[in-house]
Amino acid sequence: MFSYILRRLGQSVIVLLIVIVLTFTLPYFQPHGILAPAYAVLGSRSTPYNVHIWASQHGLLEPYWTRLYQYMFQLVFHLNLGYSFKQNLSVRTIIALYVPRTVWLALSALILTVIIAVPLGIFQASRRNTAVDYVATGTAFVLYAIPTFLLCLLAIEIFGFNTFHLPISPPEGVAPWAIFTDPLSFLLPVGCLTLLSVAGISRFMRGTVLEVLVQDYVRTARAKGCSPFRVLWHHSLRNALGPIVTILGLSIPALFGGALIVEYVFNYAGLGLQTLNAALTFDVPVVLGITILVSVFTLLGNLAADVALGIIDPRLRIQGSK
Amino acid sequence: MTTQGAVDAFSDEDDPIPLWRQRLKVFMANKLAIVSCVYIIILALACFLIPHIHPTNQTNQAIAFNTPQNEPPSSAHWLGTDSNGFDELGRIFFGGEYSLTLGFLAGFITIVVGTIYGMIAGFVGGVVDSVMMRLLDAFLSIPYIFLLITLITVFGRSTVFLICIIGFTGWWGNSRIIRGDALLIRNLDYAKASTSMGASKLHVIKSHVFPNSISNIVTVATFSVADAILFLSALGFLGLGIQPPQTDWGTMLQAGANQMQNGFWWEVWPLAVIFILVVVAINYIGDALRDAFEVRLLER
Repeated sequence: MFSYILRRLGQSVIVLLIVIVLTFTLPYFQPHGILAPAYAVLGSRSTPYNVHIWASQHGLLEPYWTRLYQYMFQLVFHLNLGYSFKQNLSVRTIIALYVPRTVWLALSALILTVIIAVPLGIFQASRRNTAVDYVATGTAFVLYAIPTFLLCLLAIEIFGFNTFHLPISPPEGVAPWAIFTDPLSFLLPVGCLTLLSVAGISRFMRGTVLEVLVQDYVRTARAKGCSPFRVLWHHSLRNALGPIVTILGLSIPALFGGALIVEYVFNYAGLGLQTLNAALTFDVPVVLGITILVSVFTLLGNLAADVALGIIDPRLRIQGSK
Repeated sequence: MTTQGAVDAFSDEDDPIPLWRQRLKVFMANKLAIVSCVYIIILALACFLIPHIHPTNQTNQAIAFNTPQNEPPSSAHWLGTDSNGFDELGRIFFGGEYSLTLGFLAGFITIVVGTIYGMIAGFVGGVVDSVMMRLLDAFLSIPYIFLLITLITVFGRSTVFLICIIGFTGWWGNSRIIRGDALLIRNLDYAKASTSMGASKLHVIKSHVFPNSISNIVTVATFSVADAILFLSALGFLGLGIQPPQTDWGTMLQAGANQMQNGFWWEVWPLAVIFILVVVAINYIGDALRDAFEVRLLER
């Protein structure tokens, strides 16, 4: 198990290096090449002289390999992701400010998703092709088909303006513990984000449990006189959890992507909104830093999912240690 | 008499129903999929024909400025007008032309690139496979919408670029699935037998690996069309979609949703229903295609 984790960590480092090189290289293809931030910051009336001075001050005129080396050096040895061109902050500060907020949003949605989707999927599988199943499946299909922003806007319209009058925007400011002091105002954003992932995960859970229910050991358990409840919630659940853990690990980037739209609609200052604004104003270091950070999250999430899989499923542990 | 019956049964066995007809039968048995197909075809025809047969002003701001804005449905404008004075029903078809074209073309590119990449990785195996898969891991660990936003600010927002950006970045999940298939089939007995009889790698891919993974390819293709349409609408919402005077459903939904608080329901609800039904229909078709192409399920 330990050597397996080590090997997976090594692979993750290689993947992360690829991500860094890719995201570092991409800005070179902008309309003005690597000088695009200079044009964006200095505005439309900048002279070539100004642009040149600004670019050389920010080290943009160095050769590609020198810049890549400096970037990696700073990142690896100082955890320094550079400085924002637009805001008077280092990228590390921006990340430290906004990461907790987005993580609270995404994490609470993830936990709620698991709490809702897993029992729902099992329930649907046990009541296969009944009215309940059809209704749940139809709802899941519609939720899957509805664009994130439309769901958010409809939720604001229906639950914010027409009924219940829920607060439509989480509190301003960047205090990460706002979710505890004012949980009501997080109801809509977290709810929307949860509903979107519940659709996919419950559907997947239903399929997995259906596959498990026809296995031999389930029949054996039934033959031995296990109650249907125990067969479903003990035998099937444990065996169906494996694929779900993997899917949850893989869904982390999608969660951050969904969080971007949710943050945009609910005007919640988080990582996604920062990325969007930075990308639109060619604030390259911020985009780079956040992208790298999210891929670190993803890789760690996948690793955690695989380790959890080994804990849940002893068969994989034996394979892994071989 | 009994012998005659036996012979008949035997001759049925001898003369099997062609595979495509079996598949069609399974597909036709799924009523929801038929309804979905009809819906998509009618909507596509409407989107591509009606703006040309019965053109409404959708591009000229000056003319639109003289028509009443945010007008409720009437006999002149069946679904009312939007906040610029454009006819809403005509605009749904006008925008649909772009949304559907982009969705289908991007989905097509996605599946072609994904299939080729996955087949190569799965079939060649070894170091090539690991390198290709690590590259894929790197791509997959970047949130897709972040990447789309960055790419669009980098490469611009023309229609061709939008198709290419969504098409050439959407295939990663697909090629994972297809690579798994290729890896599996490569090690099955019939593929091994073919190789041992001296078949070239290209032949094995062409006549064994590809036909046997077609079920996944077709299913994944339909889902990627649905995903492409959804992502395009998200981009439209963020203001990164098709540029005016052209429009797409995402941009329209965003504009309409902003008017919802004023009670102008006709600017968002009809389009929202049409849009959601398109994605649901494509998913149903995908489900039915999976059943139809799953060889093990045939001749039930």
